[in-house]
Amino acid sequence: MQILINGKTVTAQEGETILKIAERIGYSIPTLCYADGAKHKSSCMVCAVKNTQNGQIIPSCSTVATDGMQLDTESDEIQQIRLMSLELLLSDHRADCEAPCSMVCPKGLDVERMLSFYDAEDYQAAYDVIAGAFQLPEVGCDSCKAPCEKACRRGTVDEPVAIRKIIHEVVDLFADKTDLGGKDKFNIDKKLFQSKLGRFSDDEKERLKETVTTKSSCLHCACSGKSDCKLREYSSAAGIKRTRYGLSSTLPVMQKEHVTGNLWFEQAKCVRCGLCVYNSTNGFTFKDRGFGMQVVIPTENKGNVSEKLAQLCPSGALYFSTKTPVEK
Amino acid sequence: MSCNCENNGQQTLDQTIAKVDAIIGRIGTERNVIIPLLQALQEEFSYLPGDAIERIYEKTEIDRAQLISVSTFYSQFRHIPYGKHLIKVCTGTACHVKGATNVYDSFRRELKMDHDNITTNDQLFSIEKVACLGCCTLAPVVQIDEKIYGHVLPGKVNEVIDEFLEQEIQQQKATVKKTKSRVPGEIRLGMGSCCQASGSSDIYKELHKTSDELGIDVTIKSVGCVGVCNKVPLIDVVDEKGEITRYPNVKPEEIKEILHYHFKPGSLLKRLKNNLFNRVDTYHTDLTWNNVIWKPENERTGVINSFLSEQIHIATEGYGYLAPLNLEEYMGHGGFNALKKVVSEYRPNEVVKTVLESGLRGRGGGGFPTGKKWEMVATSTSPEKYVICNGDEGDPGAFMDRMILESYPFRVIEGMLIAGYATGANKGVFYIRAEYPLAVKRIRAALEFCREKNLLGKNIAGTNFSFDIEIFEGAGAFVCGEETALIASIEGERGFPKQRPPYPAVAGLNGLPTLVNNVETLSQLSFIINKGLNKYLKIGTDNSKGTKVFALAGKIKNGGLIEVPMGITLNQIIEDIGGGVEGGEKLKAVQIGGPSGGCIPANLCDVQVDFDAFNQMGAMMGSGGLVVLSEKDCMVDMARYFLSFTCEQSCGKCTFCRVGIRRMLDILDRLCSGNAVMEDIDKLEELAINVKKSSLCGLGKTAPNPVLTTLKYFRSEYEEHVQGLCKTGTCKDLIQYVVTDDCIGCTKCAKACPVDAIPYTPYEVHRINTETCVKCGLCIDECAFDAIKKVPIKDTVASE
Ligand SMILES: Cc1cc2nc3c(=O)[nH]c(=O)nc-3n(C[C@H](O)[C@H](O)[C@H](O)COP(=O)(O)O)c2cc1C
Ligand code: SF4
Ligand code: SF4
Ligand code: SF4
Ligand code: SF4
Ligand code: FES
Ligand code: FES
Repeated sequence: MQILINGKTVTAQEGETILKIAERIGYSIPTLCYADGAKHKSSCMVCAVKNTQNGQIIPSCSTVATDGMQLDTESDEIQQIRLMSLELLLSDHRADCEAPCSMVCPKGLDVERMLSFYDAEDYQAAYDVIAGAFQLPEVGCDSCKAPCEKACRRGTVDEPVAIRKIIHEVVDLFADKTDLGGKDKFNIDKKLFQSKLGRFSDDEKERLKETVTTKSSCLHCACSGKSDCKLREYSSAAGIKRTRYGLSSTLPVMQKEHVTGNLWFEQAKCVRCGLCVYNSTNGFTFKDRGFGMQVVIPTENKGNVSEKLAQLCPSGALYFSTKTPVEK
Repeated sequence: MSCNCENNGQQTLDQTIAKVDAIIGRIGTERNVIIPLLQALQEEFSYLPGDAIERIYEKTEIDRAQLISVSTFYSQFRHIPYGKHLIKVCTGTACHVKGATNVYDSFRRELKMDHDNITTNDQLFSIEKVACLGCCTLAPVVQIDEKIYGHVLPGKVNEVIDEFLEQEIQQQKATVKKTKSRVPGEIRLGMGSCCQASGSSDIYKELHKTSDELGIDVTIKSVGCVGVCNKVPLIDVVDEKGEITRYPNVKPEEIKEILHYHFKPGSLLKRLKNNLFNRVDTYHTDLTWNNVIWKPENERTGVINSFLSEQIHIATEGYGYLAPLNLEEYMGHGGFNALKKVVSEYRPNEVVKTVLESGLRGRGGGGFPTGKKWEMVATSTSPEKYVICNGDEGDPGAFMDRMILESYPFRVIEGMLIAGYATGANKGVFYIRAEYPLAVKRIRAALEFCREKNLLGKNIAGTNFSFDIEIFEGAGAFVCGEETALIASIEGERGFPKQRPPYPAVAGLNGLPTLVNNVETLSQLSFIINKGLNKYLKIGTDNSKGTKVFALAGKIKNGGLIEVPMGITLNQIIEDIGGGVEGGEKLKAVQIGGPSGGCIPANLCDVQVDFDAFNQMGAMMGSGGLVVLSEKDCMVDMARYFLSFTCEQSCGKCTFCRVGIRRMLDILDRLCSGNAVMEDIDKLEELAINVKKSSLCGLGKTAPNPVLTTLKYFRSEYEEHVQGLCKTGTCKDLIQYVVTDDCIGCTKCAKACPVDAIPYTPYEVHRINTETCVKCGLCIDECAFDAIKKVPIKDTVASE
């Protein structure tokens, strides 16, 4: 069977999807709701291609090639459709890739990372993060106006996290240390796409005030799934700075739910690709429909899912974390 | 929270479990019975109680993930108990253009429901918006429990509630039996849903009561929908001589006079005749009755005759005389002849060929050639195949499929059997929308009658063709009209459409070849077979053959269901059949095809009814909703209305439809509230084009049509909205109410205002407090001096 992709003739196997064929001959097509070998149903349209014979836009991840098919996987029109699907998903994505505090630190301290160790009472690790950024024993904060505390999201809820105080507290714990560290500096790549959470509503502030009771009071804004987030990867590649559509979502922000083992779920970051639903049995499920459709994990079903789902999730909604729960 | 209603509050767990077990015993334990199972539970408990759900997990194959997924997808299912009575306010298209939102707000105000509460504090009423109750010609329509109220004005809401409660209290009066004298002739009364909504059951009761009282034994016959829905209740009296007199809009109190007039109940009353004749006349010219302008009888009949003259009855053949469930009568008029002819004289492929040649195209919206689809199913060698009759009819302004199912059940069944024979299928399913209980009842009964007559089941009519039919009730999801979503819902899943190919014709229900046809499509078949191809091919245009049933509603004088030949122009429909725009206003546009269709502007209404002609204009035949819009209707609001419908009905699976429509709606919301900028219009258009291109199923692919057509033909109106102007005064946020100097201080408006925004100042020009005014329009309705006006907020600001 022969098909035509971007003008090139390709021999295709019976039952082969357009995605596979295109990849085989060197075109790369982004995919979110598809994962090799996993059950999936096309929904995200990030893998859109065009059938130039009938003008239809089709998902390449599940459309099987038929003899004589003519496809376009590269044109501006297609790029623009993929871009729009990302932008639409991002407009319903109220989450921060990086924590505001870490983004603004002029000395390059990953504040949130440090605080997450602090809240897990792993002070050594917290100290190491600080040592990576500062020329200890000099504490960088002493010569800084602390934009981190001004940018702190917790500050819009009630009081900003006392970041400088905590840094001093940690540094003091190891005051008699001779090895001043500074081996691992964690750099935040500011060229990457940065999703922004936007403002909290009054109800959200109330909820966060009551539910987030970490030692430092930090909300841990940074995305725990950022290291393998396809959404962010494609958005960066497409050069998206911010979505052109107003940000709004029906999903609860910053609600981090323990699933099983080291598996965590943060609903606000879910792109409703359905991979975790289709690949668990009586585990994750859809709820409601339309714009308000959610993916949920009923408490009773938590034992039925495997930690491996985190690898399928294209966003940071499902992630591994070994740190202590930050929420009840 | 405690609840006092008998149904749900005081049941012990054991009782609940016993009931659930009985239901499970009746319906089954497989995963695919989940929808009927939940429907039965809700029927029993009026919502889905947690204990009952837990029992389902214990006793059936249905698990928590499936149950949450399905029960939250379909809007029929309730998860919290409701009040004793349920008020459904129709917000379908026709009701929307007649101000349904104000009616909804009025009910909430009147019942003192605050915030997001949908149930009154005393648990007496719950309120819900529904999309089309199928009585569009009586818009705005409200249903309380089983009773439907038409023409509900915001100011009449308290009366409706009172009347309902009054009725509740009233005891059933014992009917007095008298000996009757048998007279020849009969009385025919339409008993479709519209008819019933406008009180034909009362008329029916009255007919029986009065004929008993008068001792007249005359046949009283319920017939199906008579089409002229805005003239119902309508009765035809066939007198001794066989002459037919038609009485539109009859009221119970008229019945006595009418019976007297036509049927002499024994000689002693003869002398009354002349007397009564005069009285009948006065009744009919009485101008005082609510909402109805009365004309002398001959004139009224005239209106109806012209309403009917342009129509051709194929799907609705037997209109006005066939009793829906009288099988003998249907057969007496040639019913099931087509089936018998087909099974005895045709080979299956000859039937397919005939349908191909007839040029019949699907009436479900897409206009796909029916013969081609049949061919696809017929060529499969699978020993098991299905035929599904799509009666989901989700368009919020259309109700022809309901009417056909209710009034001509045998014709649809016959069509399905012919389709089954032609394609080699042996099982049929009627998929009927949740909101159509009467249609379900009628089809169920009709199937039973057919079974008794061996027109259904094994070896039909003595041949070796066997076919059986089941009914599946939808659970409230527009997207389930889409064939793959429909199949998913029968299989017990949420109504996510599947990617095609494979088409259902190849792999459909349970993976087997499945023919999905619309109700109306199936209703055309017996005509084609009986009357022959030539006759059918003469009706219609080159590419669209036969007739199409439309629900004509909106700002039209004589609305109702009409069946017209393809090729008739929209203008003919509006002028010749509909009698022109209501209230003498000017025609602005026709919205055709509901949420998937588009608006055709008045200057293009000489277009012929034709699948392809509509498509070229960016509209769509769709289901056949035809809403007439006048100068007083705002096109931006219209677009927003349809989009908010599709936004709610999107299944949520794919990005462009789930998020894209929401983002379009955001822009329309901004436009209608005066917060948009010019760029928004381009952004809206860009989104619309891309949602249309890149959505996965027909819902998303057609949802932008109302926006795209209004942008195409009425772009200046969008621009005006950016400037804060809604010239029609429809967009509430852009207008305010002011009293002009024509006010004589009669105080009527002050009394009418439900929120006391008009201080009571007798003999002085009244003032409206714009802060408290909710813009319900009651004051305008009330003012006899035309002294209250809606003015753009922008203008008042400028001139003050
Ligand atoms: C969102 C959506 C809703 C639909 N609703 C209906 C419907 O209510 N009734 C119907 O017959 N077809 C409906 N259809 C069309 C069906 O998918 C299918 O094409 C039709 O039932 C085929 O029958 P026909 O060929 O006789 O028209 C709908 C399609 C879409 C995309
Ligand atoms: S899920 Fe991806 S895009 Fe979203 S916040 Fe996390 S890293 Fe950023
Ligand atoms: S809440 Fe924590 S992570 Fe968020 S900005 Fe403040 S310190 Fe940083
Ligand atoms: S949690 Fe992840 S895998 Fe599951 S639906 Fe959401 S984005 Fe997809
Ligand atoms: S277009 Fe809309 S209704 Fe259709 S599959 Fe996509 S989300 Fe669902
Ligand atoms: S990857 Fe193909 S539709 Fe999502
Ligand atoms: S009854 Fe209200 S729109 Fe049809």
